Amino acid sequence: MRVPVLHKQLGPSHRQGEVEKRTVSVGSPGRVARTLDCAACLLSGASDAVIIAPRAADTEAPSPPAPPRSISDWLWRRQCGCGAPNASLFTRLPAPEKMKCFSRYLPYLFRPPSTILSSTCHTEADIISTVEFNSTGELLATGDKGGRVVVFQREQESKTQPHRRGEYNVYSTFQSHEPEFDYLKSLEIEEKINKIKWLPQQNAAYFLLSTNDKTVKLWKISERDKRPEGYNLKDEDGRIRDPSTITSLRVPVLQPMDLMVEATARRIFSNAHTYHINSISVNSDLQTFISTDDLRVNLWNLEITDRSFNIVDIKPANMEELTEVITSAEFHPQQCHTFAYSSSKGSIRLCDMRLAALCDKHCKYFEEPEDPATRSFFSEIISSISDVKFSHNGRYLMTRDYLTVKVWDLQMENKPVETYQVHDYLRGKLCSLYENDCIFDKFECVWNGSDSVIMTGSYNNFFRMFDRNTKRDVTLEASRENSKPRAILKPRKVCVGGKRRKDEISVDSLDFSKKILHTTWHPYENIIAVAATNNLYIFQDKVN
Amino acid sequence: MLGRGVKRKWSCLEELELLPGAAVPEEKRQNLAAGGGHDPSMSRLQQRQLVLSLCVEKLQHYQAGVELSLRRSVLLINTLRQIQEEMRSDGTGTCTPEVLLHGVDPDSYLLTDDMSVTCSGCAEGDMESLSLSPPASPEPASQDAEQQKPLPTAVSNTLSDAGSAGGYLSDLALDDIFEDIDTSMYESSDLLSAWAAGSLWPVTSSLWWDEDMKLRPAGHSSAGSLQSCLMDLNELDHIMEVLVKS
Repeated sequence: MRVPVLHKQLGPSHRQGEVEKRTVSVGSPGRVARTLDCAACLLSGASDAVIIAPRAADTEAPSPPAPPRSISDWLWRRQCGCGAPNASLFTRLPAPEKMKCFSRYLPYLFRPPSTILSSTCHTEADIISTVEFNSTGELLATGDKGGRVVVFQREQESKTQPHRRGEYNVYSTFQSHEPEFDYLKSLEIEEKINKIKWLPQQNAAYFLLSTNDKTVKLWKISERDKRPEGYNLKDEDGRIRDPSTITSLRVPVLQPMDLMVEATARRIFSNAHTYHINSISVNSDLQTFISTDDLRVNLWNLEITDRSFNIVDIKPANMEELTEVITSAEFHPQQCHTFAYSSSKGSIRLCDMRLAALCDKHCKYFEEPEDPATRSFFSEIISSISDVKFSHNGRYLMTRDYLTVKVWDLQMENKPVETYQVHDYLRGKLCSLYENDCIFDKFECVWNGSDSVIMTGSYNNFFRMFDRNTKRDVTLEASRENSKPRAILKPRKVCVGGKRRKDEISVDSLDFSKKILHTTWHPYENIIAVAATNNLYIFQDKVN
Repeated sequence: MLGRGVKRKWSCLEELELLPGAAVPEEKRQNLAAGGGHDPSMSRLQQRQLVLSLCVEKLQHYQAGVELSLRRSVLLINTLRQIQEEMRSDGTGTCTPEVLLHGVDPDSYLLTDDMSVTCSGCAEGDMESLSLSPPASPEPASQDAEQQKPLPTAVSNTLSDAGSAGGYLSDLALDDIFEDIDTSMYESSDLLSAWAAGSLWPVTSSLWWDEDMKLRPAGHSSAGSLQSCLMDLNELDHIMEVLVKS
């Protein structure tokens, strides 16, 4: 297994791409701020909030602008308790000195006045929530908490610079989902993109499915590099010509123009989920896909948006009896009638859609009996599976629970064929991880193209790779300080006890706020993309 | 007897730990947080107590306007139930029956077991309700008065469970389940039912929004946390101001 090289690191400011840089304007008291300006706050133009600061670049400490004197009587500045340098909160009314900011805003009017309108210390909208290569590896899509999708495209390899393998550059950026408000339940629906799945390319355009908690959307990304010119009824500026002035007919000609990449929503699949969608999976027949929430799996046809079939429903008649939820589901890569779904109790069920319309009876049930020696209060929580992935060859299943990655042979249901410890040193810290909620983190796992290596993330911006053949593993770190472009990543090690060597890091120094939940692997080559909070790291094999 | 509307302190645990002469629970707790769950000097009982209180705290704490994750809630409740089971199997042997509730309803088990914990070490004066938040203003209670009637008993028994049986409620016909419970100590105050109405309702409606629960008033579930209930008056002023201006 080769050691990866840092290829490119893209922070949020790099990912802006075509997104227009917006300016700041501040309203005066008694008048609403007219323009929508802080991209981080995403406050609507008609809101009564005051926009404070442009999104701070992540390299520099944000410097909050001083509020103009005219609004100082109704705009209060407070220190955010998050500890970020120069962190400032701006509230409408006096609030407790130490407040914590939240960049989620409530899009309706009746927000209690003491909450925060804006903050300069966090740009939560930039947190990457999913990454996915397309089926050829040419495109890489990322979704973030602000509902945006950024697509990167690999440069064509040039013959003049053979040592520079194709780099990934921003290809398209679009707002996939907007925050919504469910009036019936009086709850807001986050715009965070939970999953992106690409459809295999069938024509010149690219298609992907992106989903937030409630709605799945099919996006078409297409290029336009020609423009028709020479219309008869319109002149070059687009103004309608007076028909009486037209004396001759001509055929419009396609002229080349600057390349423009546009994304359009082609289908919107909504109103089928009561609970939060946690995964989507495109079928190998390329006509259907499933979307999964906590209790149900729905089957859709890509062409039909007003109907979906519910194929799994584990909701009990009496909600009091609910003890298990679905955490993820995926179609088999080759068999279009087979899919698997994982549960919060550590089990996986494989279902065949040919047997019945409602796939409540599983064909296979994968669960490993619990080891009584390691039983604790947290046994159930750490057994909850956060991700399930079929291998590319369709013979194995990989599951990720809190401390381990397991590989299952589809023919053997009683135990996994391989178990890899991701960060077993955390077993002694489960109580404090429970306290700070980290125990509920959902890590993803991913196969490489040949199914020989598996990768998953951990804390402190570490991610781990396991070679299934050689049984070797490596821990690497995705961080700015330790990586320069083209530098070779140094393997890291966590010291579990006894003397700490120079390069090792002790368990207590791990930063649990820096977690790598989302990673993806190129389908053919050894290129990986790792999302570390709001930064995206792309690593490649070192080329000699 | 059970107090009303008072947040349970660590006093019960203190009494428990003073017996074997262990350290002050506050420090113990910090040790736990720092050193992890396998602190050898910490007994299983102490860890269990900590996990229990964390469970309840997490189930009760939520942000207004943000939907709770069902997976997280289910995991918390399963952990709570597991602890409940353990306490039940441990606690019934050591506790005097007269302080136990007569009701054998599963919902009241947690309360029972907590009482068993307190009575083994505590003086009777320490019988405080578990993790009760400060009582809400009467406003939300008045909105739901007619729907609260079947619930006050269930609510007070299960509030410490916050998310367990009470949280799973999907309809309001609970009278038959709770008939046999002696509720005299719970129905004593209007404040308690008001608090119960104010605090459990948002929890249940937020934890398990059921598509069948059309009866619940949308307005009340939007009341959100207790803090927002208390700020209703401020909000009203604010709202009036905005409406008048526009």
